[in-house]
Amino acid sequence: MKQHRLIGDVGILAGGFALLWFAPSFASDYALQISFRVMIYLTLAESWNLLTGSVGLVSLGTASFVGLGSYVAFGLANHFGTPLPVILMICALAGALLATVVSPALFRLRGVYFTVGTLALAALLQLLMVNLPTFGGASGIFLKHDPPPLPSLYHYALSVALVTALAMAICARTRISVIIRAVRDDEDAAAQMGVRPYRVKLGAFALASALIAMAGAVQAINLGAIEPYGTFGLQWTIDTLSMVIIGGIGWRLGPLAGVLFVVALGEMLANYPEAHIAITGVILIVLIRFAPSGIVGLLTRLFTRPRRLSSP
Amino acid sequence: MPDFGTVASAIISGLLLGGMMGLIALGLSIVLGVMRLVNLAHGVFLVMGAYAGLYFLKYTGIDPLLALPLLALGIAALALPLYRYLLAPLAHRGPEAQLMTMFAVAIILQNLFVFTFSADTRSIERSYATLPLSLGTVTVPLIYVIGFAIAVALILAIHGLIAHTGFGRDLRASAADPAAAATLGVNVQRVQMLTFALGTACAGVGGILIGVAFQFSPSSGGAYLLNSLAIVVLGGLGNVLGTLAGGMILGLLQSLGGLTLGDGYRDIVGMALFLLVLVFRPEGFLAARRA
Amino acid sequence: MNAATVPLLEVTGLVKRYGGVVAIDHVDLQLWPGTITGVIGPNGAGKSTLIGMIGGAVTPSAGVIRLAGRDISRRPASERARAGIGRTYQIPRPFLDMTVAENLEVAQYSIAPFIGAGLAKTERLNLLQLTGLLDVAEVPARALPLLKRKRLEVARALALKPRVLLLDEVGAGLIDSEVTELIALIQAVADPHVAIIIVEHVLRVVRACCARSMVLNFGKKLIEGPTAEILAHDEVASVYLGTGGARQSVQAAPKDEAAAPQQGLNLLSWLIAPKPPEAASRPLLELQGICAGYGQARVLKDINLQVQQGEAIAILGANGAGKTTLARTITGAIAPTAGVLRIAGDDAAGRAAHEISGLGIAHCMEGRRIFPTLSVRENLLVAARQVDHATAQQRLAAVYELFPILAERAAQGGTSLSGGQQQMLAIGRALMARPRLVIFDEVSLGLAPIIMDRLYEALATLKAAGMTLIIIEQDVDRALALADRVYVLEHGTFGLVGDPRDIADDPRLRHIYIGTAD
Repeated sequence: MKQHRLIGDVGILAGGFALLWFAPSFASDYALQISFRVMIYLTLAESWNLLTGSVGLVSLGTASFVGLGSYVAFGLANHFGTPLPVILMICALAGALLATVVSPALFRLRGVYFTVGTLALAALLQLLMVNLPTFGGASGIFLKHDPPPLPSLYHYALSVALVTALAMAICARTRISVIIRAVRDDEDAAAQMGVRPYRVKLGAFALASALIAMAGAVQAINLGAIEPYGTFGLQWTIDTLSMVIIGGIGWRLGPLAGVLFVVALGEMLANYPEAHIAITGVILIVLIRFAPSGIVGLLTRLFTRPRRLSSP
Repeated sequence: MPDFGTVASAIISGLLLGGMMGLIALGLSIVLGVMRLVNLAHGVFLVMGAYAGLYFLKYTGIDPLLALPLLALGIAALALPLYRYLLAPLAHRGPEAQLMTMFAVAIILQNLFVFTFSADTRSIERSYATLPLSLGTVTVPLIYVIGFAIAVALILAIHGLIAHTGFGRDLRASAADPAAAATLGVNVQRVQMLTFALGTACAGVGGILIGVAFQFSPSSGGAYLLNSLAIVVLGGLGNVLGTLAGGMILGLLQSLGGLTLGDGYRDIVGMALFLLVLVFRPEGFLAARRA
Repeated sequence: MNAATVPLLEVTGLVKRYGGVVAIDHVDLQLWPGTITGVIGPNGAGKSTLIGMIGGAVTPSAGVIRLAGRDISRRPASERARAGIGRTYQIPRPFLDMTVAENLEVAQYSIAPFIGAGLAKTERLNLLQLTGLLDVAEVPARALPLLKRKRLEVARALALKPRVLLLDEVGAGLIDSEVTELIALIQAVADPHVAIIIVEHVLRVVRACCARSMVLNFGKKLIEGPTAEILAHDEVASVYLGTGGARQSVQAAPKDEAAAPQQGLNLLSWLIAPKPPEAASRPLLELQGICAGYGQARVLKDINLQVQQGEAIAILGANGAGKTTLARTITGAIAPTAGVLRIAGDDAAGRAAHEISGLGIAHCMEGRRIFPTLSVRENLLVAARQVDHATAQQRLAAVYELFPILAERAAQGGTSLSGGQQQMLAIGRALMARPRLVIFDEVSLGLAPIIMDRLYEALATLKAAGMTLIIIEQDVDRALALADRVYVLEHGTFGLVGDPRDIADDPRLRHIYIGTAD
């Protein structure tokens, strides 16, 4: 049963990947830039959806790992001239490592302390980067060499998104999924079934952090310059959580729907950044109150029978 | 090596500033205790208070510190509809829905401030704010002393309210076991609403003090929110006087951090302390049995 | 370790304290493979706490737990599960959004992540077959009725391939035929390599399954031995149905004498609402066709009840029959899904808890629910709503007169008191509202007989002074001694209603409580 569904997912992903791979040959630069952003956001949103929707850990620390990936990538590229694929792998390791290191603090208390702890972590890292001259201080770092051309970067972003989607498929379609859902539904009962909740939560946190760090790295290299206020900025966190809430927390297609919505809204309001964020806030409040399962949840309820991450 | 006067001044300034931070953190603490809500809009409420003080001064010419009760009431009144229409309907949905909603409120308000007041850094200009107060070689800004006095007076008043009044009893009962409190006749929603208003007023008053003593901008709230969280875990949840002590400890450590490592490290001390407290003593260093 | 000389599970000197309350008091226990041991005792005796400590959900205050000679006292629940301790929850806690089969997969894949899918499936089907869940394998656990949820608890624990199986009240709330099925299930899962503990209220299960049993009372081991001997023991029957004594007095002594203590109390009128003039015409409390429950679980079905001013009503029933749900429905903690709820003629269905409290209904809650952050005095004052200082002080004085120990401890933290004192505080707190009617919910739970005597003396005093009472009790004798009328809840409806003397002699009562009718 499950294997078939996993194979089906992988098939769809491989097909989509193959199609999108050839986008640079016909898409305009603008379209490619948008597609690049969609891939980055999709990685962030899928990772956050895994943490919050599947495991039940509400994180406000997306920016920590975006920033970490950015700085590690620049450090490697500038000082060692490391090739990008290797950079991405090291960034993933760094993300997982940071998640592991801070987990004793964040998992110590249940519930909102994880949320608040992740927020504090992002602020701490941002302040450190601002103040440590080694990392360029407040003015940041420039990439010494020219970044790869956009089509090439787009392929990296697409690959990171593919890796993310594959990881999500494995989490949703294999025996791992029952363990994850058990921890979310009732941590104590799961422990009584021999599940080690701490390890499960740490695993999900480390995986999500690794993926986010890779996305951060690709994003930073595309920019060519990083500084602490942007790379560790709250904007990443806001974007990520609003995309998933708008799309539908816990739904497999939620992140995709949310990313497309938010990117489209961002393009429409590109000249009014404050209005864009404020409107996003209003949408969030309305959705949390009246449609907690987001766009995908609404559509599913309207048109088809339920198909959730949490049902077989 | 800095001389004695510099060090002593920094220490005393840190303690005074920490007292003001304690008031801000107390607002966050009582809302967390009673509603189980980490109010992520607390920092933005602080900024709102600062703007309220600024424009109050501009249009009436009256010093906002003299009109503090009036301004506090006004800010508290703004919190009531937020509770009634945004938070109360989510009460049965677990803490995350309220948390996210206040996060959204924070980003809306912050961008509204940018839109209305611009992103410029402002301050509430009072002549006495720049005056130094000297005792021998020790010099601290006069406004720190004024702010500290106001903050401590308010913290003690809130302590009295919580420890010795009927409302305080209801508040502690609702925090400990809302269902049992309701069964005994306590209108828990009303208690929560008033607590939320009180917490918001603490942020607002803190904002006015900060606005007079320092500068602020629409994005200043985040750092105060996080420092307040550090103070809450340091002082122990539900411990009013512990929050004051926690604030002063944080203020002291920030001053020492700024003195030894450079001014940029002041806020880092707060964040680092918060994470360290979570690791080693999540129930708070100054946690007491009773409120 | 030599399996023949080391017990599979050995518990030594186990203690659990909650504040001033001792839930488990130096309990020793040895289990050998292939045995089934019954643990019985009244509600609040500490049975579930014992299971929780062995399973790892509850941290012991003192004592050692060894599994096959290895000390596991400080291991987390997950490690104990992996080491071979499987437990069920008294109130089933399945993963509601998962199917029955997936619920089993959690246990299977957590202990053996790389087990072959085919093998896992075969094992799963065997377990489902054994527990009679095969036909609902693909149904979400949320949709299961209580009996199937209990079976799922057992199946899930078995999926851990446990060496020690802890079954916590798997029979509670089941009807007779279901209990028969359950017994068959337990007998089927018995295994020469596994030790089973059955914590059970339904004595039929213990009698049918357990060769040996132990009785817990007030957290202590009262007696241990072959089940047949244990159950024939006089002391055991009295532990279950009540503490004796009171049963004689209800039949022999006239009721006036039972109310003797009131003489010394002058201040009680400060705690008892005066009779309204129209009292005679309308019942103080009226329930018609009330249904209520939690989510999809319907607990109460078509409840009809009338309480007149000055009456004392006893509501009896086994664990899980719906007694506390009934109390919570009357006091507004949960809203009824159907039916009429009137308080002194006013429609009160769906009103908030604090409004119902304002109508004069007080609830002395099960588990006492003392506020730990408030002093004894403050705990009392919270319940004196909308009265001036002088009135509140008068009520305080009246409560202190009823329970002088509370005056001595007035400034102490509420939960620093002993269990009995906390219960006095809970009773006093309910009275501080000067209510028209008080619901006393399991006031004797887990308390020593001498304390129970003291509490029931107080209730008798209140009744004699004209207070209207609803008494929800496990301790049948005490409730019968005090009540004017008795309602016995069985599976969410009143199975038995009548005069306490008739009910006391009715064999159905004993049956409902401990299922003795074979």
